[in-house]
Amino acid sequence: MSIHNNKIELSTIELSTNIANPKQLRQCDISAYDAIYLGDFSCMDYPNNFCSHPELLADALAEIHGAGKKAYLRVYATPGNEDLPEVSELLDEAVKLPFDALEVHNLGVLRMLKERGNTTPIHLGVFGNLYTDATARVLKDYGVTRVYPNPELSLKEIVYIRDNTPVEVLFPVHGKIPLVISETCFIIENSQCATQKVNPSGKLVCDFPCNQDYWLNRSNGGWVLKDTGRMTLSGKDLCMIEHMPELIAQGLCCFYVQSHGESPEYVAETGRLYRAAIERALSDDALPGPSGLETLARLAKEGLCNGYYFEGAGQTYLGRDQVVGG
Amino acid sequence: MSAPSRVTAEKAYRPCLLAPAGSLEMAMAVVDAGADALYMGPLGWSRRPYESEMTDEDIHQAIDYANARGCEPRIVLNTFPSPLDMDAWLDKVRLFGGWGASGFIVTDIGAMPLIREILPDTQIHVSIGSGITNAWDGRFYEALGADLLIIPYRWGETQIDQLQNTSGIGIEVFLFETVQTGIICPGRCIMSSYLKFRDWNEGEGHANFHGSANRGAKECYRVCQTHWGHGTDDDDHKQQLKLRSDARLMLHQLPAFIDRGVQFFKLSGRERTTEMIRDLVCFYRKVIDAIQDGSQTDMRVYQDELDLLQQRWVKAKARRVGTLMARAKGYGEQKPGAAEHALVDLDGVRAHG
Repeated sequence: MSIHNNKIELSTIELSTNIANPKQLRQCDISAYDAIYLGDFSCMDYPNNFCSHPELLADALAEIHGAGKKAYLRVYATPGNEDLPEVSELLDEAVKLPFDALEVHNLGVLRMLKERGNTTPIHLGVFGNLYTDATARVLKDYGVTRVYPNPELSLKEIVYIRDNTPVEVLFPVHGKIPLVISETCFIIENSQCATQKVNPSGKLVCDFPCNQDYWLNRSNGGWVLKDTGRMTLSGKDLCMIEHMPELIAQGLCCFYVQSHGESPEYVAETGRLYRAAIERALSDDALPGPSGLETLARLAKEGLCNGYYFEGAGQTYLGRDQVVGG
Repeated sequence: MSAPSRVTAEKAYRPCLLAPAGSLEMAMAVVDAGADALYMGPLGWSRRPYESEMTDEDIHQAIDYANARGCEPRIVLNTFPSPLDMDAWLDKVRLFGGWGASGFIVTDIGAMPLIREILPDTQIHVSIGSGITNAWDGRFYEALGADLLIIPYRWGETQIDQLQNTSGIGIEVFLFETVQTGIICPGRCIMSSYLKFRDWNEGEGHANFHGSANRGAKECYRVCQTHWGHGTDDDDHKQQLKLRSDARLMLHQLPAFIDRGVQFFKLSGRERTTEMIRDLVCFYRKVIDAIQDGSQTDMRVYQDELDLLQQRWVKAKARRVGTLMARAKGYGEQKPGAAEHALVDLDGVRAHG
């Protein structure tokens, strides 16, 4: 990280998001982002998912690199034994290409890559359960150069891990929080709309009911979660835009917008607002501008939260005044 | 003075029954009922509410009681400690190891080599919270120095064979049948703490745990086991669903698993009554011993007895979920879309939601 006169330089900051497939890559304006995580790590069956279509990787990589951005490839997060041949095929292709990193969640896959002598940098994904600096040190020996801390960690703990390990820390600043990942699809199992077709090997055939937004609601308590089939997300959107100056002052520099299942408008608008917030935070003489909070609140159907960063339950929200003043 | 260990006294393969102890009374009961090993968790470090965890003093007594009778005491330290609390976590390892605990049930990857440094000969069990999904996970944990890997509920003979073909790590099995539907997510779920969590207070032994039960805060509210409406915005009538299926006590898989050399059969239930756990230990002791000595390998003869135990189990579980949901009462009542923060005082305990 480059810090000049106690200021981080813009060139050392990275704002990233995720793109699942070529269609989304075509539809989304990703100009605000410095790096893209390619693939939907939660479901291999998602249409043309980069995680399960090695033949699509080279073109996508060329497009992202051509735009001057970094490209990271996501690997399926919960592979069963039956999925490992497909994962292995993806890795065979991926390591031949100049990806800037592979994002791995599963420790078995991490072991597999080590035994293959992989040299592509590895990012540990959110379901890799990174809670401690001790874990980060173990994973460093597996070629892990960046970790996505478990969302339960507080800002203080994340900064501690960053300061006490030789790996980078990804800091999600916006989007629904990944809460659960499962090896089965809850929508296919339960949706009234999904067809229950079964292929000859007995596996449910997917007609992608997840193209619609599914929600889990508990009226007794007003709890809401978003169900994307194999992954359950927070109902509310994590939002740290009010806190960007403090995050940058802490020396955090790898920021991430979690946009799984969101619209092209969401990807573009969120990126644009966070890019502006970063530039404003780095500028000495800029006047305070609109934070964009209203726009982000409009895009968040169930409202905003801070996750666990300020040591509260994940769905609480503290504005800048409350944190600074409190 | 320690008696010869029931786990290691015989050189021949002997499947071990690992029983829960949520209290000193339960610890003594499972030792007396014939468990080969028992596990217990210190307050705040083992993902259970305080009533199912034990004080250090009680654990010390339980270790002595078990070791004197050849039953191996294992300590559950399966929270993901805060990086700021790692020294305190390691102090627990030193304390219980020094008192004679023969192994630890652990989740955090980074903690495993640190335990090995402190206690080179201890047994490290990889907790269900590690969330393994394939045989190569076993290879990872074996390389890390773990001795035993608990496999997911849904794994059967095929997956055990695949694990054994990929890794030499020891295998531990929960005494639950495979569950194939619902959100299957051990070790990869923070739903409960997203909605709400409660810190400990000084009177309960700790004041430094934040986050979910994964991290030592008061409890997982088992929100997956209550009913949720599920559907799209267009659905007029949302289905009411639990997010996961209930597990059933295992029986019929046991001969095949023992045939494959599964080393530990783990009974869950630190939060159950001592009487129920004692009865389950007696039941599984009888079943496992009969398979092992060949006197009874037809599991159908036990079906009626298992059905009665299952009924008791389900009833107790429903009561437990009701208790936990009652504790969660009052949370998430903020209007959707509002950016708000609330600190609610429930029963004099600092709570977040």
